[in-house]
Amino acid sequence: MTTAEVLAPTPGPPESPAKRGAGLSPLARYLLVRAALLVPMVWVLVTMVFLLMRVIGDPIQAALGGRLSPAQIAERKADAGLDRPILTQYWEYISGLFRGDFGTTLTDKRQVSTILVENGAATLELAFWSLIVAFAIGIPLGRLAARYRDRLPDVLLRLFAILVYAAPVFFVGLLLKLAFTPFGWPSSGRASIGTELTLQDVNPHTNIMIVDAILWGDPAMIGDVLKHAMLPAIALGLLTGGVFLRLVRVNLLQTMRMDYVTAARARGVSERRVLNKHAFRNALVPVVTVMGLQIALLLGGAILTETTFEWKGLGYQLAEYLIKRDFLAVQGIVTLIAIVVGVSSFLIDVIVAFVDPRVRF
Amino acid sequence: MKKFRRGTAIVAATALAGLTLAACGSGKDSGGGDSGSGIIVGTTDKVVSIDPAGAYDNGSLNVQTQVYQYLLNFPAGSTDLTPDAASKCEFDADDATKYVCTMKDGLKFANGNDLTASDVVFSFKRIVAINDPNGPATLLGAMKSIEATGDSTVTFTLAAPNDVTFPQVLVTSAGPIVDEETYPADKVMDDDAAVAANGFSGPYTISKYSKNQLAEFKANPDYDGTYGKAKTQTVTMKYYAKAENLKLDIKNKDIDVAYRSLTPTDIADLDKTDGVNVEVGAGGELRYIVFNLNKMPGDSPEQKLAIRKAVASSVNRSEISTEVYKGTYTPAYSMVPDGQAGATEAFKDAYGDKPDKAAAEKYLSDAGVSTPVSIKLQYNPDHYGSSSAEEYAAVKRQLEATGLFKVDLQSTEWVTYSEEYPADTYPVHQLGWFPDFPDADNYLSPFLSPYNKDKSGNFTNSHYNDEDTAFVDTTMSKLLDSERTDGDQASREATLGEIQARVADVVPYLPLLTGTSVAVAVDGVDGVKDTLDASFKFRFTSLSK
Repeated sequence: MTTAEVLAPTPGPPESPAKRGAGLSPLARYLLVRAALLVPMVWVLVTMVFLLMRVIGDPIQAALGGRLSPAQIAERKADAGLDRPILTQYWEYISGLFRGDFGTTLTDKRQVSTILVENGAATLELAFWSLIVAFAIGIPLGRLAARYRDRLPDVLLRLFAILVYAAPVFFVGLLLKLAFTPFGWPSSGRASIGTELTLQDVNPHTNIMIVDAILWGDPAMIGDVLKHAMLPAIALGLLTGGVFLRLVRVNLLQTMRMDYVTAARARGVSERRVLNKHAFRNALVPVVTVMGLQIALLLGGAILTETTFEWKGLGYQLAEYLIKRDFLAVQGIVTLIAIVVGVSSFLIDVIVAFVDPRVRF
Repeated sequence: MKKFRRGTAIVAATALAGLTLAACGSGKDSGGGDSGSGIIVGTTDKVVSIDPAGAYDNGSLNVQTQVYQYLLNFPAGSTDLTPDAASKCEFDADDATKYVCTMKDGLKFANGNDLTASDVVFSFKRIVAINDPNGPATLLGAMKSIEATGDSTVTFTLAAPNDVTFPQVLVTSAGPIVDEETYPADKVMDDDAAVAANGFSGPYTISKYSKNQLAEFKANPDYDGTYGKAKTQTVTMKYYAKAENLKLDIKNKDIDVAYRSLTPTDIADLDKTDGVNVEVGAGGELRYIVFNLNKMPGDSPEQKLAIRKAVASSVNRSEISTEVYKGTYTPAYSMVPDGQAGATEAFKDAYGDKPDKAAAEKYLSDAGVSTPVSIKLQYNPDHYGSSSAEEYAAVKRQLEATGLFKVDLQSTEWVTYSEEYPADTYPVHQLGWFPDFPDADNYLSPFLSPYNKDKSGNFTNSHYNDEDTAFVDTTMSKLLDSERTDGDQASREATLGEIQARVADVVPYLPLLTGTSVAVAVDGVDGVKDTLDASFKFRFTSLSK
């Protein structure tokens, strides 16, 4: 037998058609299934939003009642299509979403899609900064807590994690404002007024302030934007950071009990190296998974953070329209948030599948 | 692990760079732009629409005041009607139902289009035609028609001859003149489209605009109108969701002026802060109690009247003004607030300015009313400011302190409140009023005109002057008709005094407080006080630093 004969693959039996379908790689099959699940998940979410907005009563009456006569209310209902059968309304709502039409606000007659474009970037930016804060707090402190398990640093860090998770985000925001604004830190807004006005001239204008500031190329403006982002990012990041801290700690401790860690120890690897090299990366996998859920938490927290800090994103707009009882605007914004949460969960699944091969099998 | 360390290092470096850059740009006005050269005004008001056809609210009016011209207007510090886009307006000598305005020559919009009589006709007609629920069409109820009777002449035909209130309507939310070449005739124009169209002819144009976030106004060099030339080239309006952030920013001098709506506590605090000045001007908002004459306690109209008079003798307005509102609202002793031409203090004359238990007791005993009288008093916590709860707790405390009343105080949110009070649900309830224009009639006719169920006359649902009841008041109707059409100021003011005395005698409403207009400015900003007058127009042209 030649070397070539040894290396040649042994011919096997022919594949059945069914098996050919399963011939996709495990990763591809996993992603396909997840993508297929995304559609019904988003459909259920948007349907729930639609139904909830109908259950709470007549949106026109809620927004404009007391200002219009019954005849005018009826006219407005007809204009908004709310006098039609619920199934017709539902079909128009769903088909509108496919066209990117999230409806029109009742109180100031703006396209909800315009609000989503103009304010969505601000929320995205806040979520980004707060995730950085959450990682910066949660991961190193979680590792520290695991390392000093059941000793004073661990106890203090666990207490800290519970406190920052349990404290209402607006309360934390208020405390931060009271603590820092006397030292010249801005209490509200995404940038100084001069910066905001100047950045409107950036072409292309992304509405993501830090990107616009970088495109403008003025370090003072970049600093100004970062300075404005600091307090809201900390307020919101602490919330998620507390969750990350506890997750990293627990997973690190569990990983440290695994056989391969024991084996590493038996080989004489130092405890510090075992923790840092062998256990830590595996302990991060569940954190990435939970990050998907945290997106929803971040968006929920953003409503309060944005209102507290006048950060004019989707949460801020949502609060404004809730106060005005403009439920058609609320429906549009909540629908987008539902879609974002669904898509984020899918993307997290994809990331996890790449990081941890076990989940695809 | 190396990868992780690299990642950690990147995150740490980013954070560090951020902090460093933030520290570098730590100046209060850091970030460039030209905010330093202009004035920044903060407000919690919101803009519903820049287009006059779609808005009838303070936030929108504030923008409209800066960017549109009106036929007539009020110069700073005055409520005297002065030509703006018109060179003169007057009633036709031969037919007093015709009100004729002659336009100035050579007026232009900022986009270069001519401003003509045709634009004026278009502006008023479209408000009526669009009849937007957020719009001011109801203000034009007295206008039967409008037409251009020449290139530079506009003729309004009115429902009643010599209606002296109509010229005032021209200065309200119904009065801005828009460009017929850019504004649609049949629908409200979107804000961004309005900014892009640049159909403005007021003292300022809008150079940058983010709805309810930021608006930058640039002086219009071609403006020729009542306010005169702008003292500041650039004024930026910053919109806040929370009064607390507005307060922090003015306290830290991050903005130059805070105009509407700081809480009484914030204003009191800012008054003690170095480097900022609280400016108080004429107000116009009226806070009052409505008696539903059908539903209020009392077995007969006489007993009901005695109870109303006893309540009027028992409230202490000064205490509410100082304790609850820290002086930002002042006692109101008439439905027409102090400062308006023809205002009197009818309630002080009738019931004194301090509670008078003996008088209250006498009213009740004379009418055979057994005490304590149980009163269900309803207020609204979310429409008339955050201090309504304290205000009405004080009213309850004052009434019960006499031993003559037992008050059942209840609150209802505005959505329900605005449906329930017109449906006769509340026997006694809170309402507030912000005038459409600064004239005594606007504090009287909407409350005292003959009652009708579509609320086009008396909107409060008090049933006062309801022809189907014992509360019909034909004398009042005649007095109102008289003052509305009386061109002689002295005799008109006499009639207004008579009306106010009659209200104090019948007490369908109990005026409690009138608002002041308050703005807070940092040191070095001038002109704020000049614009805080009874016209309720906050003119950027007055501001400078």
